[in-house]
Amino acid sequence: MPDTHALVNEFVIKLKKRKVEGSKATAKLTAELLRSVISQQRIPHTNQAVALIDAIKSVGEQLIAANPVERDGDKVTAAKVQGFMRTGGVGLWEEATGGREKEREDGDSFGELAVGNIVRRVLHIIREEDLSLTTAAIGGLSLSAVSDDEDDVEQDGHPVLSAAAVAAAARSTLRPPSLQTLLEDLPHSAAAPPTSSSGGDSDGKSKSADKSSRSRKLKHNVIEAVNELIQDIATCHEQIAEQAVEHIHQNEVILTLGSSITVIEFLCAAKEKKRSFRVFVAEGAPRYQGHVLAKELVARGLQTTVITDSAVFAMISRVNMVIVGAHAVMANGGIIAPVGLNMVALAAQRHAVPFVVLAGIHKLCPLYPHNPEVLLNELKSPSELLDFGEFSDCLDFGSGTGYPLLHVVNPAFDYVPPKLVSLFITDTGGHNASYMYRLIADYYSADDFVVQRRPS
Amino acid sequence: MLTMALYISNQAGLRYLAGDISGGNARCIAMLEAFQESIKDYSTPPEKALIRDLTAKINCYVSFLIECRPLSISMGNAIRFLKTRIVKLPLTLSESEAKATLLSDIDRFINEKIILADKVIVRHAVTKIRDGDVLLTYGSSSAVEMICLHAHDIGKQFRVVVVDSRPKLEGRLLLHRLVRKGITCTYTHINAVSYIMHEVNRVFLGASSVLSNGTVYSRVGTACVAMVAHQFHVPVLICCEAYKFYERVQLDSICSNELGDPDAISKVPGRKEINYLDDWANRENLQLLNLIYDATPSDYVSMIITDYGMIPPTSVPVIVREYRKEHLWI
Repeated sequence: MPDTHALVNEFVIKLKKRKVEGSKATAKLTAELLRSVISQQRIPHTNQAVALIDAIKSVGEQLIAANPVERDGDKVTAAKVQGFMRTGGVGLWEEATGGREKEREDGDSFGELAVGNIVRRVLHIIREEDLSLTTAAIGGLSLSAVSDDEDDVEQDGHPVLSAAAVAAAARSTLRPPSLQTLLEDLPHSAAAPPTSSSGGDSDGKSKSADKSSRSRKLKHNVIEAVNELIQDIATCHEQIAEQAVEHIHQNEVILTLGSSITVIEFLCAAKEKKRSFRVFVAEGAPRYQGHVLAKELVARGLQTTVITDSAVFAMISRVNMVIVGAHAVMANGGIIAPVGLNMVALAAQRHAVPFVVLAGIHKLCPLYPHNPEVLLNELKSPSELLDFGEFSDCLDFGSGTGYPLLHVVNPAFDYVPPKLVSLFITDTGGHNASYMYRLIADYYSADDFVVQRRPS
Repeated sequence: MLTMALYISNQAGLRYLAGDISGGNARCIAMLEAFQESIKDYSTPPEKALIRDLTAKINCYVSFLIECRPLSISMGNAIRFLKTRIVKLPLTLSESEAKATLLSDIDRFINEKIILADKVIVRHAVTKIRDGDVLLTYGSSSAVEMICLHAHDIGKQFRVVVVDSRPKLEGRLLLHRLVRKGITCTYTHINAVSYIMHEVNRVFLGASSVLSNGTVYSRVGTACVAMVAHQFHVPVLICCEAYKFYERVQLDSICSNELGDPDAISKVPGRKEINYLDDWANRENLQLLNLIYDATPSDYVSMIITDYGMIPPTSVPVIVREYRKEHLWI
């Protein structure tokens, strides 16, 4: 469809140019885009779910390929890679392809997160809706079979049973593993085709009048569910903020780093419930989002103290709780967060201060991180750290070997391992880091973990 | 009298105030030199004893210096040294002889305890640098700088990661000097220290003082760097002259810290678009806290390199004890 193509391309360009800011906005836009893709998708009468899934997958691949780890609240579209600053040559701020970067290009996990999460969520929704329709249809079939010809129950019994087994097998692929699904799982499951084809099977059996209504129904249900998802993303920080009173107590001192709307809402929700507490904000150089956060908090009437990032260790002994937002939550419970948070988390651990991460469910990423400091990171322009003008007077001192003497590193994210995170507060409640794998099983289907098909 | 006070203020006090002199050694040497000048100009008023009167004068100068900027522990130690020397002056000495003794004592202190000590530290520390090493340093420590330059001079191949932090950005100056000498450097900010620590073999840090429980009292951020290094199992070597050791103990960074200018936090030089906190003084809910020092727990420190050799942090009280004895003997 030309219409969706145009929309997809527009979004891809936005992602590439980093015009979409923050994981929440990205998630919302992705969901909206996928909704319009679904609504404009022409669906065949059979295998509708497969058609939808294929359509979403192809769009999803494009989006994921376009989107490096989205950046939070930064409009500068500067060189994303390590800049080498040559002191002895003409090329000053160069993009360089070091070994690290090569590794990153190979890793297919790079550049997904919020977009990939939503694509997977939508795929999961389609599978689930299809399954519920299928089971409903089977239920109807067996009912009619029983009522219509009671004498042939024994003959009819077999196909109904096998259809039920197929449905159970399909369910087991969607549902998280549990003892019940294991027991339900009959030997058929190995031979059982995945959900979509089972839908096709039952389609063939059902009457033709049923078909058109069902095809419309699947699409309708899926769009309803995606709307719910969009709603969830929009309201996630309200739901997180509702839990604030349970965690922030009178006269406490809270430390935070980075600027996250969720954190602002959380703190303000506690403030509205008449809790009086003090917030330490680390300034978060070189992006200084702490300044933005502090301004916002002060405007909302919170007692705020801005400290330098280096003073985190000194101040943490006076802090009752560290509350931060995350960029993404990985399947092992580790988080990708604004740079500097690993240091804060270590300091908090040293002083036995709880390290609490606020994250909407859309930030939950079903991938296990491998070398996340490099693969899931983004290196920003060195100009944020060093002004070239300051170093122009060093030019004459270059070594002349062509090897850069000065190398400026400015990563945007930090990986905080799960053992440093005391608690996750999501829109569905508080969880331990070790529980993340289970939440993932609730929201994603195992078939979709790898969205991108490797070219064979 | 007035001229002396003026001299002190010009030489040391106001320059501290302006931040011209920073770094424990530089401040200490500047102060001692100012004292030397004032002792040269000194003449005992009639009917007064040199020992009493000069001690009082020194106290008066010290309180002036404290007005400009709180004393560093190294300066406190140097002042204590000078005062003991004054008190121990034999009563039989004439005024000019006493002054000459004091001047040469101060000279010896500067030469032996600071300049020579640094040379010894450099000689020890260089043995810990191997070819291909990646060293990390934080801020700008004069001892670490000398170590890097010396190691480079004797032909060791290594790379230096300079970690810097706001608001002083002292690391830039160090970076300038190292790059100029042809040492390969990587520059980053303190938030990225977890990112860069993977590639580092050794962490060399300077210290403002080492307390007798092994706590390293140093530029704010040192504790963070040492903590991350400890987490990554990278050895942390503290370079500190023994005259900076102090018998006090401290566990936390907030007590007896020094406060910097809060405006330095709200203003980001070179980034005009960051002006969110410009009117901070008018907002009663907002405070800016600019700590200068922090205390690094001794378990993050692998080794302290001093002029007495390379010691574990648990041996600091031993050095403090022996050093005090030696003071009396000089």
